[in-house]
Amino acid sequence: MAQRLQKELANFMRDPIPGMSLDRNLVEGNLNVWVINVDGAPNTLYEGEIFKLQFKFPQRYPFDSPSVMFIGNKIPEHPHIYSNGHICLSILTDEWSPALSVQSVCLSIVSMLSSCKAKSRPPDDERYVQTCRDPSDPKKTRWFFHDDSV
Amino acid sequence: MVLVEEDRSKSENNSNEKNADNSQYECNICLDTARDAVISLCGHLFCWPCLHKWLETRPNNQTCPVCKSAISKEKVIPLYGRNCTDKKDPRDKVPPRPQGQRTEAPRNNFFGSGLDGLHVSFGIGAFPFSFFASTFNITTENRMPAPAPGSTQYAEEQFLSRIFLIVAIIFIIWILLA
Ligand SMILES: [Zn+2]
Ligand SMILES: [Zn+2]
Repeated sequence: MAQRLQKELANFMRDPIPGMSLDRNLVEGNLNVWVINVDGAPNTLYEGEIFKLQFKFPQRYPFDSPSVMFIGNKIPEHPHIYSNGHICLSILTDEWSPALSVQSVCLSIVSMLSSCKAKSRPPDDERYVQTCRDPSDPKKTRWFFHDDSV
Repeated sequence: MVLVEEDRSKSENNSNEKNADNSQYECNICLDTARDAVISLCGHLFCWPCLHKWLETRPNNQTCPVCKSAISKEKVIPLYGRNCTDKKDPRDKVPPRPQGQRTEAPRNNFFGSGLDGLHVSFGIGAFPFSFFASTFNITTENRMPAPAPGSTQYAEEQFLSRIFLIVAIIFIIWILLA
């Protein structure tokens, strides 16, 4: 697993995703937690905003999915992103496959943000944020996926 | 200045090309050059140990990690390069998959709908507990891999459970009448 993360790190640095960069300070020494700075892409609703996306890799990565959420005080306002940073994205749980990677998850999140037509929170935001099993780990939640079109 | 930049972009191109070449033969799971390589019918390359581990992770939903098409141990092809000295099928190297741990659902139909009041009977002193012990033993035995329908073991078990059902019904009637 450490080897695969090393390779992912190298790939991530070699083919950076526009608007995404690794938060260097936080990666040093600990490959199991990555924080990625996300710049809202130009010509999207999030232009000019800056977010922090956190990846935590479980022991059995890549056979188990990473735990991915937005952290910090700026959480993108999006119909599939809860105000506690949890993201409703099927590839992070049910649809996870070991052929996916940090890069592919990042690309999904970028396209999710870019295709957003109107900023809003998920309809059950308030209830979910109060009742979710573990605010620091979205993987503890049993997710039901609304629709994949947004 | 311009020259230096050109040089840098050239070397970058070179290294990219090299990487592209190697990555064609990278396992889709560990991202390393595939060892004990196998290829799925959908054309995706893996190390057999990596793919095996994934198939074990989802025994009931075995899909190709890359394209999600159905996949199984029997549906992958081992790859042997020209100078590959080890001609052993990589699929035989990983310890054979452990037998599926089937847990038989509790045999509700055994004590069945007509015998719903049975738990009440436990309170009656005269009730033969040994009878229950033996029937419960039978059900635990059934936790082992269930015999295939049609086999003699299956027929025997069917026969046994029918006998016990009849015995149980007789006891219930006896209790009700007593
Ligand atoms: Zn591999
Ligand atoms: Zn495939």
